[in-house]
Amino acid sequence: MTPAGAWTKAFAALLAAAIVIPVLAVAPLAFSKQSFLQLPPHDWSLRWWEAFFADASWFRALMTSFEVATLSCLLSVAAGTSAALGLPRLGPRMRTIASGLFLGPLVAPVIVLAVGLYALARSFGLVGSTLGLVLAHTMLALPYVVLNVGVSVAALDPRLALAASGLGANPWRVFRTVTLPSILPGMLGGGVFAFVTSFDEVVLAVFLAGPNVKTLPVRIWEDVRVEYTPVVAVAATIMIVLAVIGSAVGRLATRGTA
Amino acid sequence: MSAVAFCGIAKRYGAFEALLPLDLEIASGEFVSFLGPSGSGKTTLLNICAGYTEPTAGSLFVAGRDVTAEPPRRRNIGMVFQNYALFPHLDVFENVAYGLRVRKIARADLDRRVEEALRTVRLDGFGRRSVRSLSGGQQQRVALARAIVIEPDILLMDEPLGALDKQLRKDVQIEIRRMHVARPRTTLYVTHDQEEALVMSDRIAVLRGGRMVQLGTARELYNRPVDAFVARFLGDSNLIAGRVVELRNGSATLCADGLAAPIVGYAAERLRMAETACALIRPEHVRLVAGGQPARIVERIFLGEIAALRLALPSGVELWSRLFSSDTPARDEIEIGWDRERVSILPESS
Repeated sequence: MTPAGAWTKAFAALLAAAIVIPVLAVAPLAFSKQSFLQLPPHDWSLRWWEAFFADASWFRALMTSFEVATLSCLLSVAAGTSAALGLPRLGPRMRTIASGLFLGPLVAPVIVLAVGLYALARSFGLVGSTLGLVLAHTMLALPYVVLNVGVSVAALDPRLALAASGLGANPWRVFRTVTLPSILPGMLGGGVFAFVTSFDEVVLAVFLAGPNVKTLPVRIWEDVRVEYTPVVAVAATIMIVLAVIGSAVGRLATRGTA
Repeated sequence: MSAVAFCGIAKRYGAFEALLPLDLEIASGEFVSFLGPSGSGKTTLLNICAGYTEPTAGSLFVAGRDVTAEPPRRRNIGMVFQNYALFPHLDVFENVAYGLRVRKIARADLDRRVEEALRTVRLDGFGRRSVRSLSGGQQQRVALARAIVIEPDILLMDEPLGALDKQLRKDVQIEIRRMHVARPRTTLYVTHDQEEALVMSDRIAVLRGGRMVQLGTARELYNRPVDAFVARFLGDSNLIAGRVVELRNGSATLCADGLAAPIVGYAAERLRMAETACALIRPEHVRLVAGGQPARIVERIFLGEIAALRLALPSGVELWSRLFSSDTPARDEIEIGWDRERVSILPESS
């Protein structure tokens, strides 16, 4: 490959800036002394951080986000791993149909999903419940797990399982000692994606949240509509930090396998 | 009682007959190779033996026990795959120990047996190495150790040298042979390489198109192949096409197109009168004979102690001859012949 020219580099830098600046712009706002959002802030303080942790509703929203993200991460990893392991065993036709369905949430417009899920959740009495949010986010996160684990499964030599069963291992032992260690990086990577997907998600959460069950993005959304104080920036900064940690963990987990 | 018995074992995939009904008994401690081109059914046979493939007909007995319906884990087999199939996340020791851990062997015994197996394949001291850090030949020896450490009733090998380059191939081949001589285990060995089969086997089964064409010792197959296919598959051969004109007392006379005199030789079992057939004369049996068939040397290939000569008969028929380099004549115009006991008259296929 030829080294990048000066123009290419400049263009790349511009593009990167366009992506990163709006995200980074939030952080200084969180340390502002003023009561309104203005860039750059005149004076610095931690008062909005104090305000954030002093207000029980903010902290509760953060905890709800953690709870929903953790549960939907676990659920989607369990379901997605099973799907990724089962897909290669289907006939070519069924496999195309089934993988299309599993990846559907990636391409379906989120607002359509939200309206549909809202109607469904209402008839099951799940609006405003943690369970409703967890199920909705599990569905949304499932494709990432299926894709990630699918890559590990495709790289798995089927003869390893044959060798293990020939040596006397029963199917469960084969799974535990041969299949699982090989697909674990894919599961971790998929799990991180699932967690972050749920943690960031706002559209489904707005529809399915209730007065007692609000995730952090929903709480930010509601706050911005009424008062627009730097507390919002604090919440947003927390989300960014968690997203960065999440993707770093994901990178570490899948390192050496890709 | 035979160690392994195939009774009418067959496998069909839809309309495709991968393996036609086959009967075969293998004695305890015997090393049997299955030799054939790809698609001949040899790997299918091995997979049926391991339990990875279910036969469509017939029964399989191992040590007198009908195992046809048993899954692989209840068969006590040691399988060696072409691509090693070592567990990448386990080190050498744990790979070898896998089958023993499944069998819940006590710690001290397990350590001793793994060490012994590694010593057998001359990899002692490699226990804590990662399998990825080993060469192909070493990996295949780990796979061997993993297979033998469980004391299998049968050892199955599916082209175990197929993924190795030539020098390693030789090393591992000698290793397997050495191991078998030191301690004979009932072994079924699949290969498409005639040399491997010749070097290692007590008996060789030649397969073609899902059918066992011939079963015998290397010597039998080389000297008395049942047809021209087997003759071509084992060793170099001169095959002269012609028609059977006489068939009597186990000997046959073949009228060959480009030869002045008919060729007389041992008649293969399935040879029929008046049919087209071939005369098999191994290159080492084509000798210089004063007053024999006139021939001309058209090519000389020096192979060290042996020289290969390409000979043309006046009719244009070509033959290969192998002589000691020291016996090679200086002139090109020579006279050749062969002993009729060394000649076989074979059907093209049987």
